[in-house]
Amino acid sequence: MKRPFFTKFAQLAAVAVLSATASIAQQAPPPSGLNPTALELFHQPADTWPTYNGDYSGRRFSAIRQITQQNITDLKIKWKYTITGIPPLRGSGPLIIKSTPLMVHGVLYFTIPDHVFAVDARTGKEKWRFDFEDHGGHVLGQRGVGMYGKWIYFLTPDGWFISLDSETGKERWRKKVADEKLQYFTTMAAVIVKNHVIIGVGGDAMDVAGYLESRDPDTGEMQWRWWSEPQKMGDPGSETWPNEQSMRHGGGMTWLPGTYDPELNLIYWGTGNTNPVFAGQGRKGANLYTDSIVALNPDTGKMVWYFQGSPHDTHDWDNVETPVLFDMEIDGKPRKLLAQAARCGYFFVLDRTNGKYLVSKPFTKTANWSKGIDERGQPIPDPDKEPKVDGSMVDIASNGATNWPPPSYSPQTKLFYVNATEGYSVAYLYDTSPQPEGYGGGSSGAFDTHSSLIALDVLTGDVRWKHIPKGRGAEGGGMSGGILTTAAGLLFTGDSDRLAAFDATAGKILWSQKLDHHVSNGPSTSVLDNKQNIIVGAGDTLYALTLDGK
Amino acid sequence: MAAQEPELHSQPQQNGRQPDRSHIFLGLGRVPDAAAAKRGEGLYQQNCQACHGAKARGGIGPNLVRSVLVLHDDAGEEIGPFLKEGRPQSGMPSFAQLTDTQRTDIAEYLHMEIELAANRGLYKHSGEMTSGNVEKGRQFFAAHCASCHSTTGDLKEIGAKYSQPAAMLARIAWPENRGPRQATVTTPDGKALTGVLEHYDDFDTTLKISNGSTTTWPTDTVKVSIPDKLEGHRALLPKYTDDDLHNLTRYLLTLK
Repeated sequence: MKRPFFTKFAQLAAVAVLSATASIAQQAPPPSGLNPTALELFHQPADTWPTYNGDYSGRRFSAIRQITQQNITDLKIKWKYTITGIPPLRGSGPLIIKSTPLMVHGVLYFTIPDHVFAVDARTGKEKWRFDFEDHGGHVLGQRGVGMYGKWIYFLTPDGWFISLDSETGKERWRKKVADEKLQYFTTMAAVIVKNHVIIGVGGDAMDVAGYLESRDPDTGEMQWRWWSEPQKMGDPGSETWPNEQSMRHGGGMTWLPGTYDPELNLIYWGTGNTNPVFAGQGRKGANLYTDSIVALNPDTGKMVWYFQGSPHDTHDWDNVETPVLFDMEIDGKPRKLLAQAARCGYFFVLDRTNGKYLVSKPFTKTANWSKGIDERGQPIPDPDKEPKVDGSMVDIASNGATNWPPPSYSPQTKLFYVNATEGYSVAYLYDTSPQPEGYGGGSSGAFDTHSSLIALDVLTGDVRWKHIPKGRGAEGGGMSGGILTTAAGLLFTGDSDRLAAFDATAGKILWSQKLDHHVSNGPSTSVLDNKQNIIVGAGDTLYALTLDGK
Repeated sequence: MAAQEPELHSQPQQNGRQPDRSHIFLGLGRVPDAAAAKRGEGLYQQNCQACHGAKARGGIGPNLVRSVLVLHDDAGEEIGPFLKEGRPQSGMPSFAQLTDTQRTDIAEYLHMEIELAANRGLYKHSGEMTSGNVEKGRQFFAAHCASCHSTTGDLKEIGAKYSQPAAMLARIAWPENRGPRQATVTTPDGKALTGVLEHYDDFDTTLKISNGSTTTWPTDTVKVSIPDKLEGHRALLPKYTDDDLHNLTRYLLTLK
């Protein structure tokens, strides 16, 4: 579809949508804030970045096309905002922006652990800041906020779910949603689906069970909770665990924002690694529904289908990476699809109506930890590649083939883009007891390891192109952060200490801008005062870039 | 090190974890008192182990390392009174005969077991191998390594230098010395310069030559040749079985 990169019409249309919904609800429109109807499956309002992924699909593809392959050389920094006055976070070193800012009515809302920032998108000046003092939990990341009307939702390291007024940053209420004493912690950006605020949890140090919750946007009260494991022996899925004890301590955290298809009324969520993390001897079986993609009804929390990406995981391969939704015609038939580049090194393309697979294929090396795939397309783990006391080598890098930084799918190129790590690592078993606890082992080694930006054909899972950055750690090279693609055929991501733009079709670098740190979040884009802005976080600094820097 | 750790790709993996930092990072609260935990271990074995199992991981009684009550206790203020009272209705006897200090010591032992499970910064590689065969390692070495390496030359006494098995295995698989590499840069005007690559990425190439001077070029204007010293190791990585690696490790550990 050809569409001017931004128009008055688009802005008027956005206003019209807001008014229409308000009149349906028979109440005055909120003075500011985000109407939930701004959230759509495949469309981002041009002047807004309304949710972690920009729209419900998780494609991180923007139709805005003011910045093109021809004029990209004019793209310059308009302002930068550096966080000041906050000391390094407990045990976690320098401040790093991992959140994708929301952009609503000219204000950017973003986070680091314990802190929320509202920054004027025109000037880069701080509007307000919310500071929280935690009493435990991990402070290694915070993905951002969710927004419903004028209200902001934020999760703290120690499991507080807090609602703030987006105008002032003042706290409205807080609810405890996770117990940090049991080593749960909360880092994700809440996902708003109708009148549900969907939040997940992290935490795999003490063998707790993962869950996903829906909370009321007005009161913060729980609407439903879905557990990552069956609750008792005899329930569906319990046959993949040896006993209830192991099942109820099996992990499966829900720590990244999922995606949503309003037509099918299904949310798609990835679940994290199984516990104990590296020691699988006390939990023989596939260990459902850890390390899976699950489709849930957002009104009830009931599971409709699942697909397990890393059955009986013994390598810390959280399967939480964004399940990206897209539509495509295959053999003349329109299909509703979902794709995920998983940390275990497999690329999956599924029919999102039922979870049936179209593609299940390694995307880095051979994924030698698996003996192929089963009839549902799920990898079959090789027992001989579980961690050993003397080490067991896999052709997946130590931290997985990819991780949380958001991938992108472009409907123009029909390619799925992911920043990956390729290499070998060795997994060790430390806890050899029949009832291991915690991690029980570890992964080490960075053998022939390098990063790469990989473009995958969604029909075949073949690598269409791959960019391996020159240099390596000690010298400066490496891909970093998430990916944004646009209708102008551009792909934005971090390369070395720069924000770089690639030709999304050919994989050539077209432009770059040096930043003070590595790109550390997913780049985003929206239109402000008729100018396309690229927003990116790098370390403790947020940048806005426009053509000519104006 | 943690499930969510993003690892900015260009940063090398850090080995040699700092226990203190990992304890703080994980938000594990108070560090258990090792002396009290040691005293508590004996008391645990006498009074608790029969029901709660070795290392408190459960038997006919519940697992105490994962117990919500124990995890919510800070320094015996929950566990102490609980032990004194017991929970007779569910078969947990009272331990009123123990002193307050003894009950606190048992609590401290449980906190130490939690620390050892939860704080992965304290995990250690085994110092002893459980598998591997010296003779098979020798044969593998002769077939795949001896064209470049010698056990009486460059690898003489390598087993003394890397005596810990996991360290030896890592050295065998990928003996890379991290840090800037030697390279030859062919400049835009066709000159070939050899030196140390101080910076190298998709955009800038900086070379330091022997007289100490450095020059930076846009990477797309130069040709950079870096000798691949690890070619042989790279070729072996996809071929090793775990047995091969264990056999080689065993064998090279004997070279002391």
